[in-house]
Amino acid sequence: MALWTLFGLSSGKATTTWPAGDDADGQDGLLGMPRYNPQACDEGCRICAEVCPTHAIEAHDDKLSVDYGRCVICQLCTEACPTGAMTPSNDWAFGVRDREDLVWASGGAPTAAPGGTGKRAFFRSLHVRHVDAGSCNGCESELQALNNPFYNLHRLGIFFTPSPRFADLLLVTGPVTRPMFEPLLAAYQAMPEPRWVMAVGTCAVSGGIPGGNYACATGLEGILPVDLYLPGCPPNPAAIIDALLIFLDRAPQRVSGGRVRD
Amino acid sequence: MTSGMLILSFVLWVAAALIASLRRWAVLGRALLAAGALSGVIAAIVGLPNPTSTAVLPLRLAGEAVAFRLEPEALWLFGFGLAPALFACALGSPSHYGRSGWSFGAAFSLLGALGVFGLQNGAALLVAWEAMSLGGAIMILSERLDSARGSTVLFMLALLEVGAVGLILAVAILGLGTSSLDFASFVGAAAALRSTTQIGVGLLVLVGFGAKLGLLPFYEWFPGAYGSGSGASGAILSGVVLNAAFFGLSRGLFEWLPPSPEGAFPLLAIIVVVVGTVSAILTILYAFQEDDWRRLLSFSSAENASIAVAALGAAMLFRSYGLRELAGLAWTVSLLHLAGHALAKGSLFLTADGLQRATGSYAITASGAGKYWLFGIGALLGAMSLSAMPPTAGFVSEWFVFQTVFQGFHLPNLAGRLVLALAGAGLALTAAIAFATFVKALGIGVLGRDVNRNAPISRFYSGAVGFLGLAVLLLGVGMPVWLTALDVATARHFGAAVARQMYVGPLLVPLTAKFAFISPSLLIIVMPLLALVPVTLILVSGRYRVRRSPVWYGGLSPDPAGAATTALAFSNAMRTFYSFVYRPTAVTEREADAQGYFVRKLAFEHDVAPIFGPLLFQPAVRSINAIAGKLRLLQSGHLNFYLGLIGLLLVLVLGLTLA
Amino acid sequence: MIGTRIRSVTAETLATEARALRDTGGRMQFAYAWSPNGDDIEVRYVAALPERKDFETWLLRAGNEVPSLAHIWPLLGWYEREMMDLSGIRFAGHPEPHPLVLREGAPSRGNGQDFLKHPPVDGGHHLPIIDAKDIQRLPFGPIRADVVESAEFTFFYVGEHILHYQPRLFFKHRGMETCFNGRLPSDAVVVAERVSGVGTVGHALAFCEAVERAARCDVPVRARALRVLLAELERLYNHLHYLGHLCSTTTLKVGEAQGKLLEERAKQLNARLTGSRFLRSMLAPGGLRRDLAPDKWLGEALEALRKEVIAYVDRLEASESYLDRLITTGPLPKRVAFDQGATGPVERASGLDRDLRRDHPYALYDELPVTVTTLEEGDAYARERVRIAEIEAAFDLCQRVLFRLEPGPIRTDCVAPPLSEGLGWSEGPRGSLFYAVHIGGDGTLARVKIKSPSFSNWRAFPLTVHDSNMMDYAINEASFGLTIAGCDR
Repeated sequence: MALWTLFGLSSGKATTTWPAGDDADGQDGLLGMPRYNPQACDEGCRICAEVCPTHAIEAHDDKLSVDYGRCVICQLCTEACPTGAMTPSNDWAFGVRDREDLVWASGGAPTAAPGGTGKRAFFRSLHVRHVDAGSCNGCESELQALNNPFYNLHRLGIFFTPSPRFADLLLVTGPVTRPMFEPLLAAYQAMPEPRWVMAVGTCAVSGGIPGGNYACATGLEGILPVDLYLPGCPPNPAAIIDALLIFLDRAPQRVSGGRVRD
Repeated sequence: MTSGMLILSFVLWVAAALIASLRRWAVLGRALLAAGALSGVIAAIVGLPNPTSTAVLPLRLAGEAVAFRLEPEALWLFGFGLAPALFACALGSPSHYGRSGWSFGAAFSLLGALGVFGLQNGAALLVAWEAMSLGGAIMILSERLDSARGSTVLFMLALLEVGAVGLILAVAILGLGTSSLDFASFVGAAAALRSTTQIGVGLLVLVGFGAKLGLLPFYEWFPGAYGSGSGASGAILSGVVLNAAFFGLSRGLFEWLPPSPEGAFPLLAIIVVVVGTVSAILTILYAFQEDDWRRLLSFSSAENASIAVAALGAAMLFRSYGLRELAGLAWTVSLLHLAGHALAKGSLFLTADGLQRATGSYAITASGAGKYWLFGIGALLGAMSLSAMPPTAGFVSEWFVFQTVFQGFHLPNLAGRLVLALAGAGLALTAAIAFATFVKALGIGVLGRDVNRNAPISRFYSGAVGFLGLAVLLLGVGMPVWLTALDVATARHFGAAVARQMYVGPLLVPLTAKFAFISPSLLIIVMPLLALVPVTLILVSGRYRVRRSPVWYGGLSPDPAGAATTALAFSNAMRTFYSFVYRPTAVTEREADAQGYFVRKLAFEHDVAPIFGPLLFQPAVRSINAIAGKLRLLQSGHLNFYLGLIGLLLVLVLGLTLA
Repeated sequence: MIGTRIRSVTAETLATEARALRDTGGRMQFAYAWSPNGDDIEVRYVAALPERKDFETWLLRAGNEVPSLAHIWPLLGWYEREMMDLSGIRFAGHPEPHPLVLREGAPSRGNGQDFLKHPPVDGGHHLPIIDAKDIQRLPFGPIRADVVESAEFTFFYVGEHILHYQPRLFFKHRGMETCFNGRLPSDAVVVAERVSGVGTVGHALAFCEAVERAARCDVPVRARALRVLLAELERLYNHLHYLGHLCSTTTLKVGEAQGKLLEERAKQLNARLTGSRFLRSMLAPGGLRRDLAPDKWLGEALEALRKEVIAYVDRLEASESYLDRLITTGPLPKRVAFDQGATGPVERASGLDRDLRRDHPYALYDELPVTVTTLEEGDAYARERVRIAEIEAAFDLCQRVLFRLEPGPIRTDCVAPPLSEGLGWSEGPRGSLFYAVHIGGDGTLARVKIKSPSFSNWRAFPLTVHDSNMMDYAINEASFGLTIAGCDR
């Protein structure tokens, strides 16, 4: 197949050098989690809490708490907010180790930037087993994009494996539907230790839109011990790469207490 | 001593036959058969390497006295063939029916085999030969394991009778010259014949004994007949009976017929080599596609017999060019091959019987029998020998066969060298397919989960299979010792004790150590020593805590037996690759609604087509039916027609006497 | 219901009506059940008649038992099983009355709070009786070997030859239809977007049109034009992903890389245009939620992408080993495609000439030329060629929209009155998508029925796998290009 070989050789490299290099991350113009500015809030206004489809924004007394782990980036709150307290932003790199770091609670001070968790052995090479526990296939589409020539996950030493037997990390998408409950646990059981779990997408973190109905659980809470949470609907490939590197202690965690540190 | 043991065998077997005909005391009958077999084995052990003394029987056939003598090679084949027969008779047929009938048939077969081995008279040989065939038929028919046994046994007898006709003609031609049917005179009679007649006699002998050995096209009765019987019947048929047929062939081609004259083209030898090789290839190809233990093992018996026949042909080829020592090597090799084969095949046939008692059928399906370690080891060693794996006897004989064939470059003419080279290639192919066949039989049939097994494997079967398997190992490992038993035989035929030149200390060599060597005797010591390394590693790594988790199946835990490899799945690739030989058929029938969308049931049938059945036998049957249809006209039923025929006949007789 | 005429039928006349529909050349689309007041159940059948731009709905007030129409319209087999699971109706005479959507013993109501306390039990997969000794059975899944969606496939095979194949879907059943209940239609569009991630615009568009038809509102021209742009952009990146995936199953590695790279470019273009790689958060009942500013950059970017795609497709057409693996693989006969309700590129590759954009126009498609390619062979190569033709048509449509885009309003008020109903549809990348929307007494959604194209095509796919071989299976499945989330909902 000289046709394709010559084409491939003459096409050069299409891979971005992000995050190590200066190339773009490919997410030009992409909207992320809404940014909350409590100073701009009107007294007693709860429009955003009422309009949020996943009840990510809760009003307690007079204060709002925003749980980014439940946000599906639908922008309904930013459109409904009359004062600009909720504004659209480009914050999509939301990988965190603790679930509480996704919750913006007023009065809660940002926790100290958490340190690494001792995964030096996997620093350079990580094998990931993906399990689809009932996602809408948006997360799958972004996960499949990780191996396209632009992102090229292999250059970071991270690989998807066909079997949990040689996986280090179990990456779960979807709110865990009833029929996928058993297979998910079987996949976790089949992994040799040391093993970790990552919840990718708002559905896996907190159930998303269908979470808690007759057919779905509310994400991985109570089902598996999660080591990294990445909300997003769906999180784009650069966010997934960022989250994997945070997991491997190769990138700093940027979000704590629901606030993005720059 | 030897003769005494042989007479004892004879008496015990006749007694067993009489008891069986009374249809009572089945266990006693089997015990007598087994005891007779045991005494036969002892006779062989004691008697080798010398022949027995000639005894003249109190019997006159066609006006001649009948002599009885067992040559050393006959003792060798007889003894090895009786070892599995001993266990088969002791354990008996697993069928609930016809126990007495089976004992009767077994006694007949054993007596017939004894006669084929020892009787020195042509007519007596034919009687013994027919008794042997009939015994086999009686064994299979009385077991009533298959409702179609009538047609398969009839097919077997028909082809054996074709062979018998060939034998009758050969004996008649040879006896015509000297007007004596004693074998001693056959030698001189054959030497006096023209070379083309000699070749014709050789072909008749080949056809005659080949019908029993499974040379082409006669192997086609094997699956049907063996598949209608039990493993015990198969152990006897593939053991002592097969060895008797081979002995007859070897005697016919080597003793009766002289070597081809100097400078003449060794046509008969080449034909024997080619027929042996092609038969071996075809039979092992069909063996691989079988999913019934008995049928697979029957084809494998035909394959091994064909390999021995090919080695015999090589011996004839070497002898016709005066290379006596190489001829001796080839001839000894064929004897070694059949010795190992009898033991290994016996162990596997009894494996099949043991599995049948436990699972209820002879199909090759997962049985989990491997956890009975003696049974498993015995079956494994038997399978290893038939696949030519070291350090068993099958490895030794297969290696020797290849070494013999590689020495074809000593032959002076191109045809001989070419034939032996091609035979080597063909035998290599059969060795590879045989390996795959026994991996399939053992891997699927003995190993695997015990989903199909309702009962444990009987201790007796474990013991029998284990003993025979270990005997195969012992035969291979101790070959330098056993080879001395054939000294006298090789000296008599080839002028030199070739058997002695086949080993140097613990090494086995093809007459000279410079060519190549193997040593199962040393291997059996070194292999366990090599195993020390992985065993040590396992013991050392025991300090890691092990967590067991279920097999990964995609998340659910279906029944793993359903996804296991089946016999058909294992052989399917070869079925497609060799489809020009097999012409396989696979038919799927679906039971669905009118439009075919909602399928309720699926039925799948698959089969391979035999070669000579449609090519040779069915046209023959059709032509005979056609001729019979025409001859029917003679049975017109009209009196006048008969009177007219009688009148015509009288006129003819008148004419002949007047002329 | 606007967009469709409603007729009442009874259980006795149902079979006759179905046969009459078949004889006049109509096509049954889908069927669903809903309960207007919590007690009675209504069964609705939606059909398309020839030469008509709207649809016809039959309304059947069901007792406990309704006669099954599966022997007249085999495609209704799955819809009836779904209704049996979720609504509890019995369909008499159904040829395979086994649970489809729910596992045995699973609730169709109630909440998932007791999920962890009472873990579900996986019921068996109902398979035909296999009368054969030596057949292997491979249950593959639900967690499969790659980054793919979860479903279990059961193969009965011997070595290479597949005797019978049966997929078991609905491991991913999320109950999305019930997530609409109780929400305001204007907000519930975000639920529609998340039924199938790669079908965001198709689902949202069908939902919005259903609500707009219930509310009888007119969407402004600019919004309709931009809706066409968004729908075609979605078709673009889906088909480019399809080509890359097809190359991966035929192990044309550079082809796979290039196809996935082109898909990435299309998605980055989407992000730059709308802020979402999947074109989310754009559609709402009444128009669009915010305006787009596709200045010259979009036209130029699309043209550059088009040139790369043309070169890529030309290279694919010149790769004989690739074509060899597609030609005559997995042929879907026309009759089977019609009977099983196959839709989209799958039906057009098997000779059924139907495209909702041309035959039942919506958005601005009635003013734009819609090129529909139909082929006869029905094999994997035909399905690929139909999609390639759709890619070229999508580029063309985008440029036309950009050319004639005029400034103007992008949203009108759209409030569906209580107790109204609407039917919306769109031609997604995988085929025809329908939304049937019922508004409750308080103005919130009472019932939404989603008919996704993958639900129809998954029924047809196994019929191309029986009696084929294992090597072709992955290529055949990739050539159908189906999603599981869309089917399972």
